[in-house]
Amino acid sequence: MVAAPSHRATQDTGWPHRWLSGHGQVLVVLGAIVALFVVVSFVNQRFLSPANLTTIFSGNAYIAVAAIGMTMVIITGHIDVSVGALIGVLATIAGTLAVAGWPLWMVWLAPLVVGVLVNTLAGALVAYAGIPSIVLTLGFLSILKGGLIVVTGGDWISDLPRGFFLAQMKLFGLPVPMLTALVLTLAVAWWMAHFRFGRAIYAVGSNPEAARAIGISVERTVVGVFALHGLFAGIAAVLFATQLTIIQSTVPPNLELMIITACVIGGVSILGGVGTVIGAALATILFATITSAMIFTNVSAYWLRAVIGGLILITVLADVARRRRQA
Amino acid sequence: MKSTFYVTALAALVAGSAAMAQSAWTGGDDLPTNPLACDGTPAATAALAYDGGSPTNAPDRAGKPITVVDVPKLVGIGYCNATSKGIADAAAEMGNMTATTDGPTEANIDDQITILDNYITKGVDGILFAANDPVAIAPVLKKALEAGINVVGYDANSDPGARQWFVNQAQFNGIAKSLIDNLVAEIGADGSFAIVTSTFTTPNQARWISEMSAYSALCYPDLKWLETVEAQEDNILSFNQANTLITKYGDEMKGIVGMTSVATPASADAVTQSGNCGKVAVVGLATPNAMRPYVQADCVKSVVLWNPVDLGYAAAYVLRAAADGTLQPGATTVAAGKLGELSIINGSEVLLGSPFVFSKENVDQFDF
Amino acid sequence: MTATLFSRRLLSHEAMLALLLALALFTLSRLSDSFLSSANLLNQVRLMAEIGLIALAMTLVIVTGGIDLSVGSITGLSAILLGVLWSKLGIPLPMAAVLAIAGGMVAGLANGLIITRFGVPPLIATLATMAFYRGLAEGLSQGRSVRGYPESFYVLGQGDVLGVPTQVLILLVAAILVGIALQMTAFGRTVLAIGANETAARFSSLPVDRVKLIVYGFSGLMAGLAGVLLVSRVTTTRSDMGMGWELDAITAVVLGGASIFGGRGTVLGTVLALALIQCLKNGLSLAGVKADGTIVLIGLFLIAAVLLGNLMDRIAAR
Repeated sequence: MVAAPSHRATQDTGWPHRWLSGHGQVLVVLGAIVALFVVVSFVNQRFLSPANLTTIFSGNAYIAVAAIGMTMVIITGHIDVSVGALIGVLATIAGTLAVAGWPLWMVWLAPLVVGVLVNTLAGALVAYAGIPSIVLTLGFLSILKGGLIVVTGGDWISDLPRGFFLAQMKLFGLPVPMLTALVLTLAVAWWMAHFRFGRAIYAVGSNPEAARAIGISVERTVVGVFALHGLFAGIAAVLFATQLTIIQSTVPPNLELMIITACVIGGVSILGGVGTVIGAALATILFATITSAMIFTNVSAYWLRAVIGGLILITVLADVARRRRQA
Repeated sequence: MKSTFYVTALAALVAGSAAMAQSAWTGGDDLPTNPLACDGTPAATAALAYDGGSPTNAPDRAGKPITVVDVPKLVGIGYCNATSKGIADAAAEMGNMTATTDGPTEANIDDQITILDNYITKGVDGILFAANDPVAIAPVLKKALEAGINVVGYDANSDPGARQWFVNQAQFNGIAKSLIDNLVAEIGADGSFAIVTSTFTTPNQARWISEMSAYSALCYPDLKWLETVEAQEDNILSFNQANTLITKYGDEMKGIVGMTSVATPASADAVTQSGNCGKVAVVGLATPNAMRPYVQADCVKSVVLWNPVDLGYAAAYVLRAAADGTLQPGATTVAAGKLGELSIINGSEVLLGSPFVFSKENVDQFDF
Repeated sequence: MTATLFSRRLLSHEAMLALLLALALFTLSRLSDSFLSSANLLNQVRLMAEIGLIALAMTLVIVTGGIDLSVGSITGLSAILLGVLWSKLGIPLPMAAVLAIAGGMVAGLANGLIITRFGVPPLIATLATMAFYRGLAEGLSQGRSVRGYPESFYVLGQGDVLGVPTQVLILLVAAILVGIALQMTAFGRTVLAIGANETAARFSSLPVDRVKLIVYGFSGLMAGLAGVLLVSRVTTTRSDMGMGWELDAITAVVLGGASIFGGRGTVLGTVLALALIQCLKNGLSLAGVKADGTIVLIGLFLIAAVLLGNLMDRIAAR
């Protein structure tokens, strides 16, 4: 039986080849995006206009950034259902500090720090206290969601200072959210494939015992992954908080499900050990493309979620079919 | 290759959905509409018989201190904070009412019902509510009435038999008229506009949209409604949807109407950030605090609302009057503290007044 | 030898839950006079019945090592089916209710097929169907609610039978049946075996796929029943019914001592956990804690309880 290319020894084969054959799901998602673009631009050419492309690529960028962290968590075989609530909390922290007059660079940095701290605690509880991640993050979800209302009293934050709105700025001609998502995704993808900690993540995910046997500390890897996840949640929160003039004190509904679904569609395996952040980022773009396409093609809002659900099902089945062929 | 098959299946699904486009969704409901006259003559309100419920064996609460719970649609929304503030202000003014606000963290029915049920068990004297669903909330409210609790609704009604009185911020058709009139003032009687709303299961928004289409068909037949998009209570989604609308229609769309206090500021943000300030009008329901930057930048000319603080304030006073027994079925007016006498219409609805329009001249006077 | 150790460990978890429940009942009754009345407690069972039924079925699912995230959506879908079948197609209400519940079972079986026939991991499969079934509910309902059911229908959700709320009886019967099935039948032993080691179970020629199909179908069935009960309780249908219920059910099952990896779990544990959570929600509210504060406390409690359970496992293992 021919060994699948991904089983070949090391990165000497050139990581594009190994990557592509082991990550065909990414191609499926990419194909779906291209197909949608082609079909919808026949209906209405403005779908391809720079403004709409900005909405698609930049509008959901914060989800793509959060998905980077979540991908790593899922690869190690864990999950985090509290990330939506965490982003809401971190965004409120940023807004509160901004209104209180803190210097902007600290305002933008604070959510990252708090995100890392909160999720390091989560990771430690998962790795060392043996609490299953779904249970722990369910508990955190309640604590963060309720806590946000308790602390803010439900008030929205307005009167944010000028200059706070990082997500509305442009850098090198590209909107900051788009640039951030792009740079971070590529950087982390490359890092995970080439650096020791990055590859330890995959090892821990596919076979923790084997990883332990070759000297990788499973616990430290898990805590590190959760900490990184908190970092990316913080960055996502900053993008989320600085896009609009007011910050809501409610958590965006279903945000964690969107992030997890993006990771899953992007080819991350819940069984651990396989996946890439690029897939998750592309899946986020796919969602944004679908949402935009639904408006451009006048699909009745009543069937919108059924269509999205159907698309997710098709992509999942396609992934399974692809894996079966490879096995 | 299997992948190509799945990708084509995907594309077919999307194309197929495009074919489903005929059932254009307006966002309105199917209930009968009652548009106001175009020139502003108030509709003749027929004096209807009282159709509210009444508590069974309510104890004599006249003049005595009472505990009241306020259950809004959800907590964490600026609008609901404002109504709660009004209730708290009224309670402080009266001196003999203790009001607590306790609402669900998400706008769903079962959490709201559970909260109400708990307070019935605990034993409160009065309930103030804004319903997430008019029918679903009825059984638990009836249970409250049977327990002798005074029940008054505000903002979002329930079935009339499940509560004693309902404080209506403004009539549905009045809100619709105000929104459309303000929209036409900015984009002209033959302009095109789109609507951004929350979801199609939110009763108030659906009512307003139905009334809006009835009123505009009557008074501005050349006004072109383009489409309605839903954006839940997610402000970034509202922002993205508004942007998509702006891109899709380009110059054709002259205005966006936001139906919730989340959708309107997000739409204003979309218009401002895409550089369309002045080219695309934004009219809608929102709180002044959220809209102040746009109103002051002349991007948004008018924000239609009523004063939610006044709404809560009035509701508290109506509850007090009902508990005291000074407000009986069949009354035509009720005294509501500093708001004066409010009229009662449709049998058991207390009308706050006409919609209030916030504009550059007065937006700074409010803090909610 | 290992069996008694195993069952001793299990027993200690239920015992701990029972102790916590007693403690909670005592403390909460001190904090509020209205808590410990039979009217209130029976009412609480009424309020938790829908999630309770779903959690019973979820116990079986989680014991096999799987998970079902689509139960909330199936609840909404069957509620909509009930409304649409009765009002649009004129089917008599009892028949419509049966069909709605059957619809839930079909949805669950579809989940099971995707998991067994296509080999999709349960988390992913039910994540996908969660979105799809909710979408179906929204599309079928076209955003309209169906109301105006005959009074006789409300006996299910609001009425009493033999002096206790109808839901209490339904939940009791369901709990006993599922408990017997899990602990005392070959089917139940297969469920536990699948969760403990699926490959070994397959090699022992246990009907792994068939049992999984039954388990997911049952999960859909319970969600369908929950949907019908909810409609009867609130007298209307909405396409957003049941949102978030999957997490509540999973919380109850895990708190009840089931291992999320499968192979371990009891119905008694789930029932105790359900009672505990409902007591906390109700008691805290009666004691004056608001809804937002209550969910914070429940989250803390969940983590603390799992930590405690882990600690006791480690002690019992020595």
